[in-house]
Amino acid sequence: MDHSATTPVDRRVVEAMLPYLTERFGNPSSVHFYGQEARGAVDRARREVAALVNARPNEIVFLSGGTEANNLAIRGVCEAAAERGRHVITSAIEHSSVRGICDALERRDWEVTRLPVYEDGLVRVEDVRRALRPDTVLLSVHLANNEIGTVQPVAELGALVRERRAAGHKHLRLHTDAVQAPGRMRVDVEELGCDLLSLSAHKLHAPKGVGALYVRRGVRLAPQNVGGHQERERRGGTEAVALIVAFGEAARLAREELDARVEHMRTLRERFEAGVRERVSDVVFNGDRARRLPHISNVSFRFIEGEGLLINLDMQGVAVSTGSACSSGSLEPSPVILALGRNDELARGSIRFSLGKDTTAEDIDYVLEVLPRAVENLRRLSPLYQTKVSMADGGLRMAD
Amino acid sequence: MAACGWRIEKQEPLHSQSAVRHPPSANVKLPYSEAFKDHLANPRRAGELDRPDAVVEQINPVCGDRLRLSLRVRAGRVEAARFLAYGCAPTLACGSALAELLEGMTVEEAARLTRRDIVDALGGLPSRKQHAAALAVETLQAALQQLA
Repeated sequence: MDHSATTPVDRRVVEAMLPYLTERFGNPSSVHFYGQEARGAVDRARREVAALVNARPNEIVFLSGGTEANNLAIRGVCEAAAERGRHVITSAIEHSSVRGICDALERRDWEVTRLPVYEDGLVRVEDVRRALRPDTVLLSVHLANNEIGTVQPVAELGALVRERRAAGHKHLRLHTDAVQAPGRMRVDVEELGCDLLSLSAHKLHAPKGVGALYVRRGVRLAPQNVGGHQERERRGGTEAVALIVAFGEAARLAREELDARVEHMRTLRERFEAGVRERVSDVVFNGDRARRLPHISNVSFRFIEGEGLLINLDMQGVAVSTGSACSSGSLEPSPVILALGRNDELARGSIRFSLGKDTTAEDIDYVLEVLPRAVENLRRLSPLYQTKVSMADGGLRMAD
Repeated sequence: MAACGWRIEKQEPLHSQSAVRHPPSANVKLPYSEAFKDHLANPRRAGELDRPDAVVEQINPVCGDRLRLSLRVRAGRVEAARFLAYGCAPTLACGSALAELLEGMTVEEAARLTRRDIVDALGGLPSRKQHAAALAVETLQAALQQLA
């Protein structure tokens, strides 16, 4: 139940990549047969990843994953456009990698505007319009949120950016972190109107260690990995051929199976949420009900902390994530849940359940069997819950 | 093309098709001990006492964790101890371990309980979670002051 963290590698993906870990070990930069064989495989994968997001193959830069893609996009655009302006707009609920990059920019005298989100977890186009300044070089808003699954109005932002560019704001670029989206919704760079888009392979049943950045033709980007001619000088370093092949195969499968996967996950999530609503009291579902990915359900359980629930569920074979501070090692609970206007207790008690294409109805029913008991057991320990119970019952005490 | 000596045998599926699996096997290293998880799954002496001699609730100002402890003392000995806790898993487990340790102790013995005793009862705690044991000892000290 934690497919937003990562997904199991698909058997078909493993089979596609294995030859490139064994017999077909060439370096794509080599001119001889081994090299050309690897080059051909990387090119085929590039076409598949491009097709996944409706881009041209030469607009895809392979790299190590989502975090590197976000680094190359944001730092690359900012460095290349620094003499035009030093202002970036982003949202308050970006993935931690984008938040970290923006914090680092601020330390180097860039200005960053962080757009608020509302109770539905969505940014407003009007807020972006107000935040834009002549020296704004980049707008970076994720396509879908990794904790609550809300799908941001990126296509509307793309239209706004195009309108501004047509009006003379030529250095304004739009980046979107789409790591959570493929295989869960249709992603089309033309519809979105974005200039850069980050992808990660391990969220779509490929191994960890590979991702891609879509860079629209004509967008100036300062490479962050220099010293190699690979990826059209945009990312130096010998290509991870086997991983790239795996990514290509996973992209093909995600594209071809998209409708079936979405339907499957949405049906199971409805079963899950109906079950939670029926069996557990005092729960709050986080994020807009309609504009969200089909596989994420983020639930705040009142009166308890997420970490205790996570460990309880883990002991029963159910893996989830929590927005509580303890489990992330920070002192503050999830900034995403807090940004929705939820209080500290709801942020600390939030749990992300995220389904996958291979999740079954039996899995959901098993979770619905163990979850209410785990919540009840923790609430029995909670002074917040006991205060509520004793107020409701006019002073009920636990037996000695 | 020369063979490179590698051969991949057909394998069992790499992962179960089910998203829910059995609990990790014993050789998977988890950050918490078996004793810790047992306290979490089967908390000892949770709740509140009727007619307690001392009841206190302490809050960790940094992270907001809470621990409530109630004690009944007869003839200088802790006859009953109950706890309630809100916060991260170590705070819950420390409350459970504290209440279990306390029952049957003399008040003097209780006053000598340290963080180390609670951590040991839980089979250890990661270093960044030691504050949970500190909260437990602070709560105990506050309860003992109420008795005095």
